[in-house]
Amino acid sequence: MNQAEHPQDGFVVEMKAISKRFGTITALEGVDFQVPRQQVMALLGDNGAGKSTLIKILTGVHRPTRGEIYFENRQVEIDSPRVARDLGIETVYQDLALVNLMSITRNFFLGRELVRELGPIRWLQLAEMNRLTHSSLVEVGIDIRSPSEPVGSLSGGERQSIAIGRAMHFGAKLLILDEPTSALSVAETRKVLSYIRNAKDRGLSVVFITHNVNHCYEVSDAYTILRHGKIVGTYQRGELSQDDIAALITGEREN
Amino acid sequence: MTVVTSVVAGWRLSLRRLLLSSSVIGPLATWMAIFVLFSVVASNFLSLRTVSGILNAATLTGVVTIGVTLLMISGEFDLSVGSMMAIGGYLFGQQAAKGTPLLGLLLALLIPAVLGALNGLILIATRIPSFIVTLGTRSIYRGLAWIISGGALLQLTEDLPIYEVLNGRLEVVDKLFEGANFRTSVVWLLGLLLLVQYLLIRTDYGNHVFAAGGNRAAAAAQGVNIPRVKLVNFIITGTLAGFAGVLLFSQFKTVRVATGAGTELSAIAAAVVGGALLRGGSGSIWGALVGVLLISTLRTGVILLNIPFIPADNFEAVVGVAIIGAVVFNDWLRRRA
Repeated sequence: MNQAEHPQDGFVVEMKAISKRFGTITALEGVDFQVPRQQVMALLGDNGAGKSTLIKILTGVHRPTRGEIYFENRQVEIDSPRVARDLGIETVYQDLALVNLMSITRNFFLGRELVRELGPIRWLQLAEMNRLTHSSLVEVGIDIRSPSEPVGSLSGGERQSIAIGRAMHFGAKLLILDEPTSALSVAETRKVLSYIRNAKDRGLSVVFITHNVNHCYEVSDAYTILRHGKIVGTYQRGELSQDDIAALITGEREN
Repeated sequence: MTVVTSVVAGWRLSLRRLLLSSSVIGPLATWMAIFVLFSVVASNFLSLRTVSGILNAATLTGVVTIGVTLLMISGEFDLSVGSMMAIGGYLFGQQAAKGTPLLGLLLALLIPAVLGALNGLILIATRIPSFIVTLGTRSIYRGLAWIISGGALLQLTEDLPIYEVLNGRLEVVDKLFEGANFRTSVVWLLGLLLLVQYLLIRTDYGNHVFAAGGNRAAAAAQGVNIPRVKLVNFIITGTLAGFAGVLLFSQFKTVRVATGAGTELSAIAAAVVGGALLRGGSGSIWGALVGVLLISTLRTGVILLNIPFIPADNFEAVVGVAIIGAVVFNDWLRRRA
């Protein structure tokens, strides 16, 4: 790879001039978005600003109409969620992360079950899966009663934590959190924010998507603001006050 | 006093754990209650003859119910199973008449498997709810049964050894117990139950089945191939329906175009009585088979009781009451847990 062409190797991911059209509607127009290595990047914007569309392009749910994506300085075609996952991009969605009727372990390993095979016979290594689920959640600071408990009996914060713990366990390089705290109590939000710091300390890069700057102000290293499908700007921590950021999100201030 | 309270609390805790860990406990309790009730009020109920009769009557619906329950857990319905049962019966019977029953068995499994795949493919291609898709194919496949048979009843008189294997008398057991009249289909049912239960609980595929019905979007986000899971479940369901047709023919040596009509609803009823959720994501093969047994027990018991207004051909009304009652009771048990 020609390094001169992509000198900013401090980025884990770079999206360049991304545009996305759905029929006649333009959802994104020439969006540049970078996530610096081992930093928490907040992606801010009002409802309908294009945050979800941008992230869904990064996670392989949508294909961009135009534009390029570089992951660890290599150009990549992310045409399915599996490709994104294989690259090390893990996403925690706000309400569709876990299956409530299934146990913590079964959720933790969903789609990546530990299976042993003997000829045509295959079976789950449930004991090993339980053990790994428990130990890796404890490791990231999440205490659960029993890994065989159904997820539905947990609180919203606990569920969010498990989804984050799962992403970290499976070796994510880039952790994308879609409105991770919008449905949580203050105490639970604080916990989730501590897991995000923990993830960063362990070398992960994080994208924190939210429409409310108060949720991410504490943990973010930088902010990228989207409005009407276009980038308003990217700002470093401390460059703007919370009020400035809020004004940029709504368009009260142009930039 | 505290000892008593803590013992009761401990008991309630373990009951809770039991109910949470296994959805089969509720339906099993209901079934046992009904069984005991009939044993007391119907003098000729508690006998090996009756018990084996209840089991035999449950096996054909049972085989179909295994597939239907698997499919319901993944969030889909199959209303075409009764029609595929008739097709399986004809394909097997016609070849048996020609002296090639093994080819017949193969066809009776293969063609319904293809029809099941067709159900799945229509669902995936059109995104129409499977309830509607299979409401359509239910009639189409019934028409196919008519085409295969020319509309005629198929009835054979000659006995073939293969009938004995598939659904003959289970002499080993029957000789041991005076008055028992078990059939080999019970063994097939048990084998299939264990196989599908294993698939559901002990394999990654089973994990994907629960996830597909429990939260489709979450499962897809984790890389689970939802269309594939549903397609495979439809194929399994079709194959089992065809096999039920084979078992039916092996027992009665008769098949009509209307054979199996109504089985689709009995299977759904049994699955729900057995703790399956109509919206998917939860259910148990064991529970569903207890559901089949429960309905079969009621049928037999009601017939034996000989209640006025509810002769043998009006037991459906009682079954209807029981379905609602059992689901309400299960729900109550679960809520208390």
